[in-house]
Amino acid sequence: MKSKNNVKDFGMFALPGLFCFLAVVIVPFVYGVYLTLTDWNGVSNVKNFIGFKNFAGVVKDTQFWTSLLLTFKYVIVVVLLVNVFAFAIAYLLTRGIKGQNFFRAGFFTPNLIGGIVLGYIWQFVFSRVFVSIGESTGWKLFEVSWLSDPTNAFIALVVVSVWQLSGYMILIYVAGFMGLSEDVLEAASIDGASGFVKLKNIIMPLMMSSVTICLFLTLSRAFMVYDVNLSLTAGAPYGTTEMAAMHVYEKAFTSRQFGVGQSEALILFIIVACISGLQVYFTKKQEVEA
Amino acid sequence: MSKKFMTKVTALGLIMALMTVMLTGCRFGFASDPDDPNEEEEVIPIDTSVDTFEYDSSLEGTSITLLNSKAEIQVALGEMAAAFEEKSGVHVEVMPVTDGDSPYTKVVSLYNSGNPPTLSILDTTDVIALAEEKAADLTEEEWTKETEEYLTEVNGKVYSFPLCIEGRGIIYNKAAIEEALGREFDPEAITTQDEFVELLDTLVEAGIEKPVSVAKEDWSLGAHHLQYIYETYDGTSEGAQEVIEKIKKGKLNLDSYDRLSEFLDMFDVLKKYNVAKGDPLGADYDEMAIDLADGKTAFWFNGNWAWPNLAEAGAENEDEYGFLPYFMNNDADDFANSQIQGSPSKQVMLDGQIATEKEQAAAKEFLNWIVYSEIGQQMLVKTCNLIPPFTNNPYEPADPLSRDIYEKVQEQKAFNASAIVPNDHWSVLGAAMQKYLADRSGREALTESIQEYWDEQE
Repeated sequence: MKSKNNVKDFGMFALPGLFCFLAVVIVPFVYGVYLTLTDWNGVSNVKNFIGFKNFAGVVKDTQFWTSLLLTFKYVIVVVLLVNVFAFAIAYLLTRGIKGQNFFRAGFFTPNLIGGIVLGYIWQFVFSRVFVSIGESTGWKLFEVSWLSDPTNAFIALVVVSVWQLSGYMILIYVAGFMGLSEDVLEAASIDGASGFVKLKNIIMPLMMSSVTICLFLTLSRAFMVYDVNLSLTAGAPYGTTEMAAMHVYEKAFTSRQFGVGQSEALILFIIVACISGLQVYFTKKQEVEA
Repeated sequence: MSKKFMTKVTALGLIMALMTVMLTGCRFGFASDPDDPNEEEEVIPIDTSVDTFEYDSSLEGTSITLLNSKAEIQVALGEMAAAFEEKSGVHVEVMPVTDGDSPYTKVVSLYNSGNPPTLSILDTTDVIALAEEKAADLTEEEWTKETEEYLTEVNGKVYSFPLCIEGRGIIYNKAAIEEALGREFDPEAITTQDEFVELLDTLVEAGIEKPVSVAKEDWSLGAHHLQYIYETYDGTSEGAQEVIEKIKKGKLNLDSYDRLSEFLDMFDVLKKYNVAKGDPLGADYDEMAIDLADGKTAFWFNGNWAWPNLAEAGAENEDEYGFLPYFMNNDADDFANSQIQGSPSKQVMLDGQIATEKEQAAAKEFLNWIVYSEIGQQMLVKTCNLIPPFTNNPYEPADPLSRDIYEKVQEQKAFNASAIVPNDHWSVLGAAMQKYLADRSGREALTESIQEYWDEQE
């Protein structure tokens, strides 16, 4: 009787979800892996099996490795900055300062603006507003558009991403801080812990579950960045700010090398999956119960 | 209690306001988008009283689709389709390629989903990529006789309908030049690079400090500038193809290829007088249109598709704008110094794989209607504002840039060459050109990039 019910429950509740998951995630993924082994160009009716030739193409594509390296640099900087910034702001915004709800909403707003729109807004800021500030004040920093120099364009990308991603992370950290048990903090204070010691030994371990989520979200989002990249710099100047995801798209659809593009996408996926998996494993180990 | 109520009311009000904005005002028309579909244009009346076109009544009730990749004529095409339906009874559904999709990606995904458009407006490279696999053979169509020069052939067969001619060169603002010079300006008097430089120097002395605008966009640098090295080989598409084959096979040494060095000489001239010389990669496309319309600059390297931007910047249909050639050298007899480039850029391809015979016949009727019916002829030129590639079309485009190209084509002052290059040519070599424009690489490095690019192609 019970097992029959189980089958029925599974059929009712899990099967539709499982079907959708299979149809839109697993099947396309497996099919995608299969495509890396063919010479399909997106149009023709025949797909010839060519083994690992596409992966040889990936090895030869130096631009891909450059963009991957750049993506790593970007991820490290963005993940660190976003989390440090969001943690600090969230800490301040749970101290009961005046108007903290207003600030929380304010910091969260950038997250509500889509990446494409955000990119265009900032493009205007970097190449028009900053430049006219530079013109009227004579500041060297704003003399030319940030987006026309490789290093500055990279910094611009980081600034915009941090500005966009922080809001969401602040929200998660705020929730984490609100969930901290007052008893534990009070007990720590009575035991003489204060300031940095309290933060390091009491608050941090208790906040680890929020850190796990935030790190995971920022890591995967930063690795897969495309929209801001496209609308803010589009790889300019001369392809120096082209991140891995954008390069994959360009390879497949602009250069029309679908096989190589798909193989690069697969490699990118494996890298992101491994790094995020490791991160979740290690930060989870740090989590403690109050 | 009342405070809580007020908060709720405020929140609700805010949500309503946001929703309204999202539902109504959320159509971003960036000024930098040359294909802004939101732009309002004056309606030019179409005379429908005369129509000698013969419609095939057996096709009535057929419905076909048209994929449009030229966003600026989306509305006009819809009007055209409606006019055609009224007369022929064939319904033409015009589907836009949405922002962010490339036309090729869109058409390929439609094919893969088994639901391709009957007709698709595509770039020439796309047509060549798809023709033999998907397209219907149009070699025997009657309209091919009206546009012999502008047909694109794939292995001797015609698979596409040339929709319009587009041309490029150095756009001048005649009024601005004349005001600075204080005398009349005759664009045809300039026939060599040196004469052009002389004119630039005079303009500088007359107060236009940096008279030229050079767009930093990779499509402009990689496709429109750089492709002169193929297209001026002998001024024909075949010649362009020949020189590309030679470069690919290593039979032509780029270091000693005179068209490349001449092209770079001219590019250096444009670079020297560039209004954005201080920060060439920070140049803003919209500002260039404004600068030219205001007379802050006198020249802008671009094509007739720049007209909507100029119009937005304040230029009027009555103003005198036109094109100078891309002066390659000091030989006044060189065709490159007296002719601008103009060739068919958008092609209509007919699906030959999924579409039924009746649908194909209806689509062919629509194409013939554009060429032969008085209404179709007018609408192509007046409603869509395109330069017709068909010799039997008596109507002239309204805006000065298109008109200039139209006249130059009629007077044989335009050469019809368009290089068929791989689809990533503009982006890969556009980046190399950006580097050169910003003085972050020299001629040698640029030449090397071009050679490297072609070596990688199969």
